[in-house]
Amino acid sequence: MNQDNLVWVIYDITNNKTRGRIARACKNKGLYRVQKSAFLGKLNRTQIAELKALCGDIIDPAIDSVYIFPMCEEDFKKVQLLGQAFDRELVSDEVKALFL
Amino acid sequence: MNLVINTYGAYLQRQGDCFRVRVDDKVYDVACAKVSSILISTAAYLTTDAIKLAIDHNIDIIFIDEMGEPYARIWHSRFGSTTEIRRRQLAIAETEEGFNLALSWVKRKFDNQIELLKKLRTTRTRKSAQITGYIEKLENCRKQLDTMIGTIDEKRNTIMGVEGSGGRIYFQALSFLMPEDHKFEGRSRNPAKDEFNALLNYAYGILYSRVERACVIAGLDPYVGILHTDNYNKKSLVFDIIENYRAWAEEVVINLFAARKVKKEHFDQLENGYTLNKEGKALLIETFLRFLDESVRYCGRNIKRADIIQFDCHKIANSLLSREDESG
Repeated sequence: MNQDNLVWVIYDITNNKTRGRIARACKNKGLYRVQKSAFLGKLNRTQIAELKALCGDIIDPAIDSVYIFPMCEEDFKKVQLLGQAFDRELVSDEVKALFL
Repeated sequence: MNLVINTYGAYLQRQGDCFRVRVDDKVYDVACAKVSSILISTAAYLTTDAIKLAIDHNIDIIFIDEMGEPYARIWHSRFGSTTEIRRRQLAIAETEEGFNLALSWVKRKFDNQIELLKKLRTTRTRKSAQITGYIEKLENCRKQLDTMIGTIDEKRNTIMGVEGSGGRIYFQALSFLMPEDHKFEGRSRNPAKDEFNALLNYAYGILYSRVERACVIAGLDPYVGILHTDNYNKKSLVFDIIENYRAWAEEVVINLFAARKVKKEHFDQLENGYTLNKEGKALLIETFLRFLDESVRYCGRNIKRADIIQFDCHKIANSLLSREDESG
């Protein structure tokens, strides 16, 4: 089974264009933007590998950094949120219908 | 998730691998990897790019009218499986095999209704005795099916008759269970005469589109039914198969009323009936999809209710094919 994992993608990128491309790659994979340079969402192993390859091609490894952190469900439940928080249900794919 | 476009004048387009929905001044991007179907229940625009993105990812786009009836869908132009299944489907419609298959669906419908009433009885102790009465009546109806043999042409009217009288008893029972101010007089469609029927019609509509999709994927021809006659360009097989799952819609609607979630504000009143408005649709769709997403024990495995429909359709298709092997 190709199980879905919660994944954080956090990056530090100087060039505006590069940063934009990384953000778009995350969005297209189905991650949600939870902060300016932080994405979160559920991906399967293939999608994580694809994202890693994609980001690797985009960044300049000499100056930029991208972290891809998997996180287990159990730990996600223990996450503490303050202030402008993200939608827990949305990022963990528990929302079954999105009304627009 | 299911993307539900529910706001008048929404605009759906493609943005990379995302669907972009513009609603008034707001823009939402949803990755296509997260979308399983797009339900459009209001006047909206969509671009061909967005359609292509959906088709490439096996996401169907379903259009639903204000009564909840799906009136069109965009789906790839391939058929789900081998044509042999359709050939067999036509062949057995007239035979005893076909008859037994159709009969098993009607029996299952009765079983589902009885099971639902039993379930509802456990939490309604004051009404328990009357519910038991209804259950017994339904069981008597079902017994008439046990001894039935023949072909569908000979017995169609008889089965439909039993089904009809069972249905009346069943809906009387459901009406009896409703809170005092929401009792209803039987089924009504186009438009619904009361809130219960408005909700139920809409839920059936969602179910209907699911069943149609499952048929196509399994390679079954939705137009070739057994019990429902197929000469009016209607999707008879969908009507046949949906009987197995209608009780889910009924359970969800009953529970919405029991939990006092249904409000007057969820409906628009017409001259001669009721329709669900935007908030009402949102409530129903959200609750129903959650229900379909629950895992239940079925045929010795844990499986989501939504997947049971596909599972059953594949099973029907496989049984059609394997019969072919035996005779050839």
